[in-house]
Amino acid sequence: MNRRNFVRNMATSASGIILGSGLLQATEADAQIPPNAGAEGRIKKMMSYRKLDAHVHLGLSNDPPELNVDFAERLGIDRMFLSKPVTRGPGAPEDFRACNDVILAAMKRYPGKLSGMLTLNPTYKKESLEEIKRCTGEGMIGIKVYYQVKINDPLFYPIIEKAAEMKMIILMHAEASLGIGGYRMKYDQKIKPLASIPEDFIEAAARYPEAMLQYAHTGGGPDWEYACKALRNSPNVYVDVSGSNNENNMVEFAVKTLGEGRVLFGSDNMYYQSVGKIMDARLTEEQKKKIFFDNYHNILKKGGYHVD
Amino acid sequence: MLIDINAYTGHWPFKQLHGNSCEGLLSRMKEYGTDMSVITNLNGVFYKNTQSANDELYGEVRSKRAFNDRFLPFGIINPIYAGWKDDFNTCVKNYGMKGIRVFPNYHDYTIDDPNLVELVKMARDADVAVALTMRVVDSRQRSWMDLSTEWGLKDYVPLLRSVPDARFMLLNLSTPLAISEGDEKTIKNGNVLMDTSGRYITHFANYVKRFGKNKFAFGTHFPVFDYYTGLLRIESLRKEEADEADRELFRHLNAKQFLKL
Repeated sequence: MNRRNFVRNMATSASGIILGSGLLQATEADAQIPPNAGAEGRIKKMMSYRKLDAHVHLGLSNDPPELNVDFAERLGIDRMFLSKPVTRGPGAPEDFRACNDVILAAMKRYPGKLSGMLTLNPTYKKESLEEIKRCTGEGMIGIKVYYQVKINDPLFYPIIEKAAEMKMIILMHAEASLGIGGYRMKYDQKIKPLASIPEDFIEAAARYPEAMLQYAHTGGGPDWEYACKALRNSPNVYVDVSGSNNENNMVEFAVKTLGEGRVLFGSDNMYYQSVGKIMDARLTEEQKKKIFFDNYHNILKKGGYHVD
Repeated sequence: MLIDINAYTGHWPFKQLHGNSCEGLLSRMKEYGTDMSVITNLNGVFYKNTQSANDELYGEVRSKRAFNDRFLPFGIINPIYAGWKDDFNTCVKNYGMKGIRVFPNYHDYTIDDPNLVELVKMARDADVAVALTMRVVDSRQRSWMDLSTEWGLKDYVPLLRSVPDARFMLLNLSTPLAISEGDEKTIKNGNVLMDTSGRYITHFANYVKRFGKNKFAFGTHFPVFDYYTGLLRIESLRKEEADEADRELFRHLNAKQFLKL
């Protein structure tokens, strides 16, 4: 058959009718549908995985929480763990309190879909500890921090100790890009000097083996091979594979290097890529279920924050 | 039917790729029900003499009937390297390729290089497409030996304006899409097809609204990217965002019309 005939013949046997994903009701049995079941089967299979988004934001763009909820419904995400870190300015107490208020409002608006993670700045120890009390009192279940202070800085010790005591995970922005935060400073870009790099996580995790740290977004720019290899022997560091990068083999490499129990699904608001890369990963059904849901759920269970 | 307008075989020198052979790509195509793929040999980004990569690709595609039936090879032409016109003619006339790809930033020439403009005019006259790739990998996690700068969509638009009657494919929209009103008009009015693989397509329905439903076609950027994401952008559209006829445009009809299959 030549190419022209092949095209003509295939055109008459369309590969399947696609339904709007919002109309599909996933069942347990759908997890067994092979990907080659066509578009409808593929979407049903994707929707059949329960999903907890362990890294997602609100308020870093003009997008309203309705967009988070839209994508949660579109891609079958049970719950999003939402945060708004301070990304500009000094990160003073009034700044991080205002960020957390945005998240609290969204949680109240969509209580079944959006959970909150609080942000703080360890430079302000007293105010940060007070903010943990305030926000957890209103139902927040974790801490999300940015690059005001490195994760291994002594300023962080009281925050890590408090989180460990409350069995809450700390999601820390992470980098492994040339010249950022101390990674191969020969290429110093003179930006984000206090961003945390894998070595900073290793040090903090070793000092506090009872703490749970989350290395953010292997798909968010860092050299993910470097990050996973560096973190291999830090069992209390989890990595989320969120971010805009959906490089082939990223998820498989994380599982192979860190073990299937330390890899978490997250989007960082890059929804298509974050679901797509796990769906396409050469992993077993069981491994995908762990990454999409079970691993993060087990973390939440430790502090009694689980969703079921 | 499903046509992928952005796939590769070959190697990336700084990172191991998986499924980066015709066999590997065909295996994913079967898994996802893809009928045809535009395929380029990544080696040609790095060979000084890109024609060696085109010869490699052509040889591999010709080696098996399934490859020959289902792959649409695009050659990489470097218009500042000796013999580039011969390379173009070999790819188009001898190998029957329906398009070419150029990598100005990797091959170290500017978008207004007269040779590039001449090449695009040759492509126009031969009725083949010219594919522009916004980037291959994310510079944030690049090797220390790789390029440190990326080109945004606006950096490619001058070429569209130089040869407005050529056919352009804009692939992997993963660098900034901020463009002027005039540039946007150039893309909308031009004979342009974009693929669905790029990271800046954060909400596909909005981009369809912005550029028009005839401007997009399924693309994977595989094996650099995973195979599914470019397809998920299409398959997760809501009914009110795209009806079945629109989805067919994205799945194969736009590609078929653009590539004159």
